[in-house]
Amino acid sequence: MLRRIFLPAILIILGYGFWVSPDFKEIAAGVAIFLFGMITLEEGFKAFSGGTLEKILKKSTDKLYKSIGFGFVATAIMQSSSLVSVLTISFIGAGLIGLTQGIGIILGANIGTTTGAWLMAGFGLKVKISAYAMPMLAFGVILIFQKAKSIKGIGYILAGLGFLFLGIHYMKDGFEAFKETIDLASFAVDGFKGLLIFIGIGILATVVMQSSHATIVLILAALSVGQITYDNALALTIGANIGTTITAVLGSLSSNIDGKRLAGAHLIFNVVTALVAIVLMNQIISVVDVISDFIGIANDNHTLKLAVFDSLFKVMGVIMFIPFVDKLVKFLESNLKGKEKQEVESYESVQYLNDSVLELPATAMAAIVRETKHLYINAFEIIAHGLNLKRTNILSEMELEDVIKEGYSKNIVDIDDFYEHRIKGVYGEIIDFATQAQSKMSPEDIEDLYALKIASRDIVDAVKDTKHLQKNLVKYKNNLNNHIQEQYDGIRIGLAELLRGIDVVSKMSEEDEIIVLLSKMKVNMQRYDILANGTLDNLIRNNLITNEMATSLMNDSAYAYEISKHFIAMAEIIFIDVSSDIKNLGEDMLISDEEVDKILEKGD
Amino acid sequence: MGVKKFIELVTETLGLDEMKKSSKKKSVKNLLKKLNSKKDAISKRLKAKLSKKKTKELNEEMEIIQFQIKKGEVILKKLNS
Repeated sequence: MLRRIFLPAILIILGYGFWVSPDFKEIAAGVAIFLFGMITLEEGFKAFSGGTLEKILKKSTDKLYKSIGFGFVATAIMQSSSLVSVLTISFIGAGLIGLTQGIGIILGANIGTTTGAWLMAGFGLKVKISAYAMPMLAFGVILIFQKAKSIKGIGYILAGLGFLFLGIHYMKDGFEAFKETIDLASFAVDGFKGLLIFIGIGILATVVMQSSHATIVLILAALSVGQITYDNALALTIGANIGTTITAVLGSLSSNIDGKRLAGAHLIFNVVTALVAIVLMNQIISVVDVISDFIGIANDNHTLKLAVFDSLFKVMGVIMFIPFVDKLVKFLESNLKGKEKQEVESYESVQYLNDSVLELPATAMAAIVRETKHLYINAFEIIAHGLNLKRTNILSEMELEDVIKEGYSKNIVDIDDFYEHRIKGVYGEIIDFATQAQSKMSPEDIEDLYALKIASRDIVDAVKDTKHLQKNLVKYKNNLNNHIQEQYDGIRIGLAELLRGIDVVSKMSEEDEIIVLLSKMKVNMQRYDILANGTLDNLIRNNLITNEMATSLMNDSAYAYEISKHFIAMAEIIFIDVSSDIKNLGEDMLISDEEVDKILEKGD
Repeated sequence: MGVKKFIELVTETLGLDEMKKSSKKKSVKNLLKKLNSKKDAISKRLKAKLSKKKTKELNEEMEIIQFQIKKGEVILKKLNS
């Protein structure tokens, strides 16, 4: 209901404002151009986020102070805490960083936004800023029309800065002209009442503009021409700081639970800092005066003093919160619970794919890798149970001969049911998500994405093959013919060994170990192939099994071979290709079929 | 000069392609180093008295590693050329 009224109300107010005052129109246009500049700037930085930004983020967030530093630097460079928040939510969504690191970045970003106030107060209001805007816009737009992604990115950044400067120019001009007709300063309210009213206006303005940066620039522009008092400007700044959390809350709506927790942390941090600032307002103002005197800011230079206030207030908040970050994480984890608490559901639905990770190709890719691993974990369990093996026994150090003796269940496991609940849905979502993510990716990324799709398909095919294999495993389990029983036990041992090996690979970090182990599995796969090793011929020739048994064994041996092949191929992609230093070398380094034959011949 | 040509020139002048190649070379070299030390370790173990099964297993692993070292060297040669 509120949402429906909100937009028309804003439009009506704007329309009325334009009708009664052409200067208001100029200010509003300035804000609009400024906001458009921010959108353009964000677009430009996203063009460079294909790898560099992610790598820096990964390396610079392992400690809290590093996360805060990263948040500060990133926001100071990009001049947008919203973009940094959205990126952080995206990284958390993809599981690349944890909530603690995310909170660190948000704290740093809060301090980073103060650089905007300093730039505006120290430079934007003193220099004819539009003189810089025009060439930037002209160069920027030319570059935007180029095909190369990096050139386009530079174009967007230049144009974005150009629009920001132009917006500031219009806001400043608008307020100067506005002053001649209406004196907004006459509406100034003193005391605590005034503080609360202007905090409210600051919140509202930031919610409407979705940018505290724009609000602060607007406050500075109004303050520079004396349209608002210094005290009211301080209150507006506090309000802008609360209002900005709305952007993070809205951004987190499409994110996973950690993204929502991060938005919660942002909200708590900003509101608590604002409350403390309100309580200690007089003391903070005194400290601002002392600092301003110390760094040589004139007593009547309210714009620079506002920048000092903005910095002091935010730094104070961060220092206040640092000791409580862990407690804040615990509080958010215990009070904001997602679907993950239902274990069954986490198996059946996707865990890492959400709209927030689609923001960047790298986070989308990381999320798909993790989801494919999730699919593999589900498939591992289904295959183990389908072969009537206990997952825990496979993962233990138990002798494989003993593993196959202790069955999972006396009843036949319904693979179809498992497939419907734990594979089909997740697989479908991976493919659908990959298609969406592809639109923002480079050709190299698309190649990696294609490999991941193949890995998912390998997993699905392995499960389907297990279903076919299960039929005869059950049929010949208690058969009186020892030879056929022995062969099916051999198939189960071979596959149990494969599952154990793949699990070891999934936990390894040394690439040489992974490559050697996968090659060993390839050798074993061939060794257990009874068509290739002559076992089947021998059984038939010596009439040890019936023709029907021979046909079943031949088919099932082929299924077992296919399961191994699919799982090894999948492991190559998700445990080597997409995340290691020797990316794309996996296939070249694994031994070929001819080499496997040579090794087996030598062994015999 | 077109933008594409300009980018190619900058890439060439700054040696960005070489950088990419050399980081891949470094990875392969590291991998080869690890494989060689693994090979040495197996050789040492093979000199000790072991069960027939274990000896067979180690011999097989040795074969695999030798094939992989050869493959790594081919890749390195290609990157160097």
